[in-house]
Amino acid sequence: MTGLVLAYELSDAVLAGPAAGIVVAAERAEAAGVHALLLGDRPAARPGRAAPPAAIVAASMLAVRTRRIGLVVDAAPAYCEPYNLARMIASLDHISGGRAGWRVVTGPDPEADANHRREGVDPAVGREVRAAEFVPLLRDLWDTWEDGAFVHEKDVGRFIDPDRVHVLDHAGPALQVRGPLNVVRPPQGHPVVLAPAAEPLLAPEADVLVAGNPDRAAASDRPVLGTVTPFVAETQERARELHARAGAPRSDGDCAVLVGDAASVAGQLAAWADRAPVDGFVLRLPLPGSVEVFTDLVLPELRASGRYSGEFRAGTLRGHLGLARPANRIVGRLTAAGAERS
Amino acid sequence: MSERELHLGLMFWATGTHAAGWRHPDARADAAYDIGLIQEVSQAAERAKFDFVFLGDRLASDPALQHSNPAQISRLEPYSTAMAIAAATTHIGVVVTANPTYSDPYAIARLMASLDHLSDGRAAWNLVTGADAAAAHNFGRDAHWDTARRYDWAEETLRVVRDLWDAAPEPDGTGARRIDHRGEFFSVDGPLDVARPPQGHVVVFNAGTSDRSRELGARDADIVFAGPQPTLAKRREYYADIKARAARHGRADHVAVLPGLTPIVAPTTEEAVALHDRLNALLVLDPEREVGDIVRAGGIGEGHQRNLTSASEVFGVDVRGNDLAAAVPSSTLAAVSEEGARRLTEITRLTRRTVDGPDRITYGDLVHATPAQLSHVVVGNPEEVADMIQEWFEEGAADGFNIYPAYVPGAVTAFTELVVPVLQRRGLFRKEYGGRTLREHLGMAVPPR
Ligand SMILES: Cc1cc2nc3c(=O)[nH]c(=O)nc-3n(C[C@H](O)[C@H](O)[C@H](O)COP(=O)(O)O)c2cc1C
Repeated sequence: MTGLVLAYELSDAVLAGPAAGIVVAAERAEAAGVHALLLGDRPAARPGRAAPPAAIVAASMLAVRTRRIGLVVDAAPAYCEPYNLARMIASLDHISGGRAGWRVVTGPDPEADANHRREGVDPAVGREVRAAEFVPLLRDLWDTWEDGAFVHEKDVGRFIDPDRVHVLDHAGPALQVRGPLNVVRPPQGHPVVLAPAAEPLLAPEADVLVAGNPDRAAASDRPVLGTVTPFVAETQERARELHARAGAPRSDGDCAVLVGDAASVAGQLAAWADRAPVDGFVLRLPLPGSVEVFTDLVLPELRASGRYSGEFRAGTLRGHLGLARPANRIVGRLTAAGAERS
Repeated sequence: MSERELHLGLMFWATGTHAAGWRHPDARADAAYDIGLIQEVSQAAERAKFDFVFLGDRLASDPALQHSNPAQISRLEPYSTAMAIAAATTHIGVVVTANPTYSDPYAIARLMASLDHLSDGRAAWNLVTGADAAAAHNFGRDAHWDTARRYDWAEETLRVVRDLWDAAPEPDGTGARRIDHRGEFFSVDGPLDVARPPQGHVVVFNAGTSDRSRELGARDADIVFAGPQPTLAKRREYYADIKARAARHGRADHVAVLPGLTPIVAPTTEEAVALHDRLNALLVLDPEREVGDIVRAGGIGEGHQRNLTSASEVFGVDVRGNDLAAAVPSSTLAAVSEEGARRLTEITRLTRRTVDGPDRITYGDLVHATPAQLSHVVVGNPEEVADMIQEWFEEGAADGFNIYPAYVPGAVTAFTELVVPVLQRRGLFRKEYGGRTLREHLGMAVPPR
């Protein structure tokens, strides 16, 4: 990995605003070479204000309004059917030309649970087991179509190659899905899966781990992003004012809060990059203007220090992150079974 | 609604709605995954002032359908596709098919509301209960639920979804309240997190054929999307039935009936007939097997195969072993069954070939008329196609149409460039949008909370 990976987590204030404002923020980030936008998604009301649109819908709008930046959406296995989520993320990957990612949301949420109870289903029950089974299942569903199975050969009247489309017949403790998926294999093979570093069942299934506070991040064999909320302004005083006005949030295990001018914030990020086992950051940009301020003030400092390129290295989110396109797991299993038989 | 207005939608299946449409030279065979092309097709429909683009959906994939109904095999997911279309257009509505059998009411309410916000009031929900029995296996179930259970579930879903929209916050955060729904199937507290949709309630379409579907459509839907009927009498009966049911619920003026229509149109009748023949010539037929073999028509149920064995069965005469291009002797055609005779009339309507004229019905024509038709087809020049539309609109069979392009994008532009101007000249169809939201196009007010 050369250079820091940066992802902007857009605030509800931006995402719940007019569509044009969301697009402007995305364009700003893209112009500065930010690798990905992270769109939160929590299916429960916030007291006193309207929540942003569903992440998958907003991300689809951004997919056709931007060209390079990655688009990562939150989704909790507790509230999704695997077949539905697999195709949504796969479709976002197609629409964006290989820029989709999914951050797996775990953890209890009684308010969201109370919106999703139905006959025979209580999302509060067994969510860890479901989430752990869910992630590899989505990878398998993405693999039910081999690359190139969609042949659309007009001259011979062959639309698909049925030998390269596979039934899955997944039957696990929590989930049963037959397949094949009704979307062809995504451009990235598998859209990028981000998972909380602290979930022992999930972390091994992820492409990228999202740690909380970088001070508590642990080393891993895959990219690790620390989570930081920056309050930045032209001056230290102004930054402290913004922070105080936002209720003076403090660093905790989930997130480090930085308050300062551009040089000090960039310096702290660089210090973590040097001593903590993180490959980059999820930047929770807290205020309506934070995208512009962080982009205009802090990114130039990081670039000047040589830690951040500001350039896209590839056309896909995997490419931005230095991740390879995965081989097809179903084909791998079939090949292995064939080799064993012979 | 003062003057009655014709409504037009574009039924988008990337392969086209003709089973071999994707093979036509003016088709893009890979259209399903080219969002740029999907946007261009939608922009063409918007230039023609269509009410909406309609995205049908399936929750299963069956590679065995590639010759009978390739559109059913795979496609982009409709919410994200609709959003990508809305982002490239300014007026046209976007209709997302969502099946409550396999989704939560809270998820439907917020996804639809989100689309309505980011499209500035152009979203619609096509409520279906599922054409594919196989979908059950993709959602952890052993079997497809029966009609009663699917509609009981769908009706409660729709109630919860609308309650959530009514209890949603205004964009400034005020006005939200819990719904505390405790029903037969769902327990949902609310409120909705996303703000109330700009249209109040996202427009609701329903598509189905059963008595339960007609009742749901008449009582609860804004648009009933109608499948094909075999005769004019049956079309009128269906239309009158929906309107009468709606009237019983006090909604006579609030439900529009839009059948599907596949126009095969070209500047002249001869060219249109040749186009229709050409499309049929591109079909890959089913191998001849035993009488009684059926093929999945693609979710809408099972149908007859496309071969001479099945044609023999449907027409009630043995036509096996013949050259498809050869004319069928009049004596054979005279011996067909009653159902066969009805289909011969249809063949003549489409191909202009007759039982005993100089240009006679061929064995191939019998084969092509054998599988179940997924929509009504009209073949002709722009005036002929407009005549049919006008007739149905004025004589109690339709309030508008969901236009099925046989191939994409060619058949879309053929209709928008050749037929729409005729409809506009006749004063049947709008020349400009009167409003911005889909409800405004449809002449439907925003419902109060
Ligand atoms: C014109 C028409 C279009 C339909 N489109 C879809 C569709 O896109 N997806 C789907 O799952 N079902 C679709 N259906 C099926 C219906 O939703 C319905 O679930 C099915 O016909 C079974 O219910 P029924 O017995 O009421 O017809 C369609 C039906 C009709 C008549």
